[in-house]
Amino acid sequence: MKQEKAKKYGMVIDLDKCTGCGSCMVACMAENNVPFREDESDKLLSIAWMRVYKLTNGKPFPDTDICYLPRPCMHCEGHHGHSPCVSVCPATATDYSEETGIVSQIYTRCFGCRYCMAACPYHVRLFNWWDPVWPDGMEKSLSPNVSVRMRGVVEKCSFCFHRYQLTMDKAHMEGRRELEEDEYQTACTQACPAGAITFGDLNNPKHTVYRMVKPDHKQGGKPKNPKAFRLLERLGTNPKVYYLTSREWVRSMDDNYLKNESK
Amino acid sequence: MDSALIPRGVKRCPTWQFILGIVIVGAVLLWGVFAMLLCWIKGLNQTNMNTAYGFAIWIWADLAVIAVGGGAFFTGFLRYIVGKDELKNIINFAVLIGFICYSSALLILAIDIGQPLRGWFIFWHANVHSMLTEVAFCLSCYFGVLCIEYLPLILENRQIDKVPFFHNLSHNMHEIMAVFAATGAFLSFFHQGSLGGVAGVLFGRPFGFREGVLIWPWTFFLFTWSAAACGPCFTILITKITEAIARKKLVKDNVIELLAKISGWMLLTYSVAKIADTWYWATVTAPSKGFTLMDFYSNNPLYGIWILILEVGICGVLPALILITDKGRKTSFALWAAVILAVIGVCLNRWVMVLQILAVPVMPFISWHMYFPSWQEIATTILPVAYGIILIMISYRYLPIFPQEAELNPIEPPTYAEEDKQEQEEPVETQEASNAPEPEMQPAEA
Amino acid sequence: MKIDRRSFLSFVIGGAAGTALSPLPWKLTDDLSIWTQTWPWVPVPTDGEVSYVNSVCTLCPGGCGITVRKIDNRVVKIEGMKGHPVNDGGICILGLSGAQLLYGQMRVREPLKKVNGRFKKISWDEAISEISKKLVELRSKGESYKVACIAGSDRGTVPELFNRFLTVYGSPNFIRTPSIQDSYELTLHLMHGVQGMPGFDVENSDFILSFSSGVIDGWGSPVRMFKANSNWRDNGGKVIQVEPRLSNTAAKSDKWIAINPGTEGALALGLAHIIIKESLYNSSFVNNYSTGFNRWKRHVMDGYSPEIVAKITGIDKSVIVSLARDFARASKPLAICGRGQGWTPGSLKEFMAVNALNALVGNINKEGGIWGLAEPDYINWPELEMDSAASRGMQEGRIDGAGSGEYPHAKYLLNRLPEIINSAEVSPVQALFVTGSNPCYTLPDTASVKKAFERIPLVVSFSPYIDETAEIADFILPNHVFLERYEDVPPVAGFQKPIIGLSKPVVDPQFNTKHVGDVIIQLAKSMGDFIANAFPWETYEDCLQTTLGDKWDTLVQEGYWTDSNFAPPAWAQGFETASTKFEFTNDEINSLSRFSPVKPEGDEASYPLVLIPYDSMRLASGFIGDPPFAIKTVEDTVLKGKDVLIEINPATAKKLGLAEGRYANLTTPKGSAKVKVHLFDGIMPGIIAMPRGLGHTAYDKFLAGKGINFNELIGPVEDTASGHDTAWGISAKLAKA
Ligand SMILES: Nc1nc2c(c(=O)[nH]1)N[C@H]1C(S)=C(S)[C@@H](COP(=O)(O)OP(=O)(O)OC[C@H]3O[C@@H](n4cnc5c(=O)[nH]c(N)nc54)[C@H](O)[C@@H]3O)O[C@H]1N2
Ligand code: SF4
Ligand code: SF4
Ligand code: SF4
Ligand code: SF4
Ligand code: SF4
Ligand SMILES: [Mo]
Repeated sequence: MKQEKAKKYGMVIDLDKCTGCGSCMVACMAENNVPFREDESDKLLSIAWMRVYKLTNGKPFPDTDICYLPRPCMHCEGHHGHSPCVSVCPATATDYSEETGIVSQIYTRCFGCRYCMAACPYHVRLFNWWDPVWPDGMEKSLSPNVSVRMRGVVEKCSFCFHRYQLTMDKAHMEGRRELEEDEYQTACTQACPAGAITFGDLNNPKHTVYRMVKPDHKQGGKPKNPKAFRLLERLGTNPKVYYLTSREWVRSMDDNYLKNESK
Repeated sequence: MDSALIPRGVKRCPTWQFILGIVIVGAVLLWGVFAMLLCWIKGLNQTNMNTAYGFAIWIWADLAVIAVGGGAFFTGFLRYIVGKDELKNIINFAVLIGFICYSSALLILAIDIGQPLRGWFIFWHANVHSMLTEVAFCLSCYFGVLCIEYLPLILENRQIDKVPFFHNLSHNMHEIMAVFAATGAFLSFFHQGSLGGVAGVLFGRPFGFREGVLIWPWTFFLFTWSAAACGPCFTILITKITEAIARKKLVKDNVIELLAKISGWMLLTYSVAKIADTWYWATVTAPSKGFTLMDFYSNNPLYGIWILILEVGICGVLPALILITDKGRKTSFALWAAVILAVIGVCLNRWVMVLQILAVPVMPFISWHMYFPSWQEIATTILPVAYGIILIMISYRYLPIFPQEAELNPIEPPTYAEEDKQEQEEPVETQEASNAPEPEMQPAEA
Repeated sequence: MKIDRRSFLSFVIGGAAGTALSPLPWKLTDDLSIWTQTWPWVPVPTDGEVSYVNSVCTLCPGGCGITVRKIDNRVVKIEGMKGHPVNDGGICILGLSGAQLLYGQMRVREPLKKVNGRFKKISWDEAISEISKKLVELRSKGESYKVACIAGSDRGTVPELFNRFLTVYGSPNFIRTPSIQDSYELTLHLMHGVQGMPGFDVENSDFILSFSSGVIDGWGSPVRMFKANSNWRDNGGKVIQVEPRLSNTAAKSDKWIAINPGTEGALALGLAHIIIKESLYNSSFVNNYSTGFNRWKRHVMDGYSPEIVAKITGIDKSVIVSLARDFARASKPLAICGRGQGWTPGSLKEFMAVNALNALVGNINKEGGIWGLAEPDYINWPELEMDSAASRGMQEGRIDGAGSGEYPHAKYLLNRLPEIINSAEVSPVQALFVTGSNPCYTLPDTASVKKAFERIPLVVSFSPYIDETAEIADFILPNHVFLERYEDVPPVAGFQKPIIGLSKPVVDPQFNTKHVGDVIIQLAKSMGDFIANAFPWETYEDCLQTTLGDKWDTLVQEGYWTDSNFAPPAWAQGFETASTKFEFTNDEINSLSRFSPVKPEGDEASYPLVLIPYDSMRLASGFIGDPPFAIKTVEDTVLKGKDVLIEINPATAKKLGLAEGRYANLTTPKGSAKVKVHLFDGIMPGIIAMPRGLGHTAYDKFLAGKGINFNELIGPVEDTASGHDTAWGISAKLAKA
């Protein structure tokens, strides 16, 4: 069914509120049937769709500071939906939805070439190096809403797309074409005990995310709110995940700058 | 034992020596096959690839063999399209090397992808925006072309040629070979370029990203160019190595020198273009993303500026200068050095364009990534080398690869009568062997 | 049949072409691609009917409401319950991993008995009758008081059932595991005259002064504290974190003040000094509703000038002065203490000093302040009738010494028990029940705890999980896990209103487990007479339902019951001390030893460094160990492979010749361990820090054998004022390995 108007789902993460507690990571794992292994301490092999990075300001004691930066998939819009990863996938196993702005990943289509991983500068895309194994009995907690991925394919944050589908189905059954703001929320947003994550439609001025960042759609969604930033803004990936912070040093880690560029 | 299969007018080492060689290289091959099976059965956890290194040694090897395999298309282009007739004396070998390189590339890809059984999705669900799609299509088509180019060579085997059907087929194929050469050149232009495009379109990776024309980033053209420049160098290198091992001259100097000269000029112009590209990238593209050149080459244990100097200077400009001078081409040592450097240069370029891109941190709060391949990756990467050596050994022994060999190495007239008698005794065996799918393996079994 | 060359070739070529044109290859490739998705070892989650059940999480004392998503009879996801007064939809990492504790490999699947050092299956009836026989035997020897029970909590029907059982059986030895609750209860008792636990109105405070409390690292009710923290961000509330290490709390606070560990109490008194000197205190409260001020003031003015405090704490004088002013001038300032998640009770005098700050600014029993919440009153069981054996047993003093002699105020002193058992010729504890706690992991000096437990002839664990204590027990009588059982969850740590949650069975028991309440009832019944009579209920559910009375329906429907009309009593009625006023000090308090910074165990010459633990939300460090999802989130600067990383200041590391990621030998007076080094600028030079929650030997392969249990490296240090464990760290040395 066609939407009245295209949506652009996005996320705003308040870094001043984020405590680094990790609930978003586990909420995502539990929601999306993410596998786990005995040793997950090699973070370059570990699959976590949401990863919380620990940033430090690099200053010595006692001027040291830490900030946590949760990083889901940015659902980059790129140029006209040519997000870095979507345009490179040779098998069309990942797709930019003009309807929702969500970058999908179709596991049963992906054949594991990992070109998309090379293309994504955020290390969002993760490869199933191993067969997923749930110890006897633990498979009971698997959700039927999200298919279990097989070894050899890439997976990543989907903005909990199955939740969108379920709420849309419900809305259609009830004869509605539009979703309420709180109807479709991602698992990480919902779980965050600090309320640091806000999720909604960046095209809808009534939605909180819109009011928080004031996206400039003429500039690919660049935030007009000076406190908001997107990661690696100048690469032109046009992400739909925004961050808020009041700390200048955190703000300076949003992108790469030359020495003479004052941030 | 196998003398009936050996081309007339040439001399080959004793069968036992040949078999011993095959066994030694075959052992390496089996090691690679074992590693390959591990990767297929247990999955890519057998490698040291990870989230940061989604591409690693294999993709490098892939790009590298395709680059050095560029000798086939470019020599074909020169021979059939440009009309450099002398090159007919090396084209067979160039085609063989190309065939080895491209079949290796396909094999590596089949190991590299996470779901080999779904590899065909790249055709079935093709995404026209993806450089890899372009690569896959052109690569496979070109591999088809190489097979067609290699097939007549096989058919020229003394025994096969006796079958009238094959004889005629081979003859007719030679007639139209120019068409295939042209197709091959065209396809190669694109897939070599697309491989360059693979890195160049990554606008999320400032190290690889290049501006360009239309959908093609500069690296598209640089890759085609460098393959055309260095592919023939690799052909020359392998010819020289084969000559050294066979302990005889197989191709006349004028042929080698012609190819070397063309390579030299290609390499020189390529180097100039590469320097211009690097300059523009370092002063315009990278800074616009917040990077200085040295950001890409410092603060890590491996990737230093030495890479750029080695790639562009020592392995680019230097061999080019050697190859464009008459003296350089005529001095055995200089020629050897030049072709080796050129091959290293193009391989290093592919390494940089595949691995350094991934090593460079893009998000400002992460650090450089380092990587060393697992033994399984090393073994599977050596596997094509072993396979190539075996294929060259077999082809050289049983097929008239080098048209000038007999002329350059006259031998005592052989006792044909004796050999013909053997042939009379063996027809059934030969026939049976012909149902093997890979004809080049026949003699080994016979 | 003779095949000539031509016909053979035509056959081969024709066959190949025919095959290629037939649907066969396409079908096969298609099958292949399907096959790669449905490898038999990749589970396909079955679909079914979706339902949601509201319950309460009991994985920590936080008391969060949860909404459990089910597919048919499977738990697929645990979410925070929207609208719940504690967590309103939020949920922590441990609660989120709850389903893994239901289905995980760490579950004890049936009752077990240890025979010749190995666990053997045993039936419930046999197990209960064997234990019952042993208890009867002890009782007939007049040794009923030698039976003890260690529980994670002393509130709610389950702990009360144990307590009741012990009482009617004849033992005063019900012991609760230590935490800051012990210190806060005592503080409230001595200064407010209230028996109960503290309620902190953190949401309404605008200035939180935290003395090393892990405000967003799991202190109090973790999710609630996160929410409060976010509120402060939104409405301008300030958090000042006083702590030797840049914890997450410190990093998120408005100001981090690094302090010499153990000297927090001195800082509190130093702040009081300034507040009094500059007359910044709330004179209305101090003059009208408090006593002992002048006596206490003298002590503070004499001993805690900024100069002295600066020397003790290592904090700049000017910082102390301005902090005191900021605190006193805030409209609703609140000072809190209890290190990290509050695992160790700490120095009583430190707690009292911090509480005195709240009194000075008059922020007691007021919005944004602290007040005492009386013990929950819903458990009104019939009066016990006891026989003489029980009375005799109850006359005996507690084995841990709490409540008499040197420790008149302490309720429980589990920290003293291992030493008492180990130094006695015959263990004074002959039978031990362990429930809702894992002392062999969570108590300091685990080696001596284990040694002590091994000397107890009968140890019964009710743990649903194979934890460290269960491992050394003689019987494991596995309880249902929280998703399989009913249980009331009484007032939670630090919540400002009385609240009761009801944990409900969300799914049927997965294994042959039994509700611990039912086990106690059955055990009592099997012992007959007075003991049996004390338990008039058929089942635990029966007991619970009767106990909760008219609250039952609300609890079943809403998942929680709260007294919405609750307000703290006004100053005039708020204190139940002898003076009916807040008591800065009194004879009782004065008779306790004075505050002095707590020194870590070990001599400085052999142990030049100080090792402190730190708490993290990603590492459950209590009764429950990290489930697979949770351990997965632990950073590689904390755990790498099986190695734990020790945080050390780069300057200190340089002196010791240690570099990032290198191995080092860590030694304390209590033990040693091989660790890796992580350079961290956010820690005071000379101090090294290690996470709690690692080093499990039990549980599943996802947790066991990773890192070191901090408790193996530290021993208890007795607070001379209360008898509680007050150790916050230990002297240590670190050398290249
Ligand atoms: N292992 C496993 N295999 C199964 C099943 C299973 O349960 N487990 N179920 C079988 C059944 S019944 C079915 S119907 C199929 C379902 O097969 P799929 O449809 O392949 O499976 P899902 O993962 O459920 O599909 C959702 C995927 O599509 C992406 N996606 C979501 N929305 C969009 C969109 O708008 N556009 C695009 N392009 N992509 C989108 C999501 O990111 C997600 O990766 O799988 C079958 N195979
Ligand atoms: S759940 Fe919220 S507070 Fe916790 S790490 Fe994620 S974003 Fe931060
Ligand atoms: S963050 Fe990475 S994976 Fe996600 S849309 Fe952007 S490029 Fe693709
Ligand atoms: S790994 Fe999968 S999703 Fe990524 S580019 Fe390759 S086929 Fe596409
Ligand atoms: S949006 Fe959904 S899929 Fe993405 S990180 Fe959050 S929970 Fe995971
Ligand atoms: S904070 Fe405690 S009660 Fe709340 S969800 Fe987490 S473990 Fe459960
Ligand atoms: Mo389906």
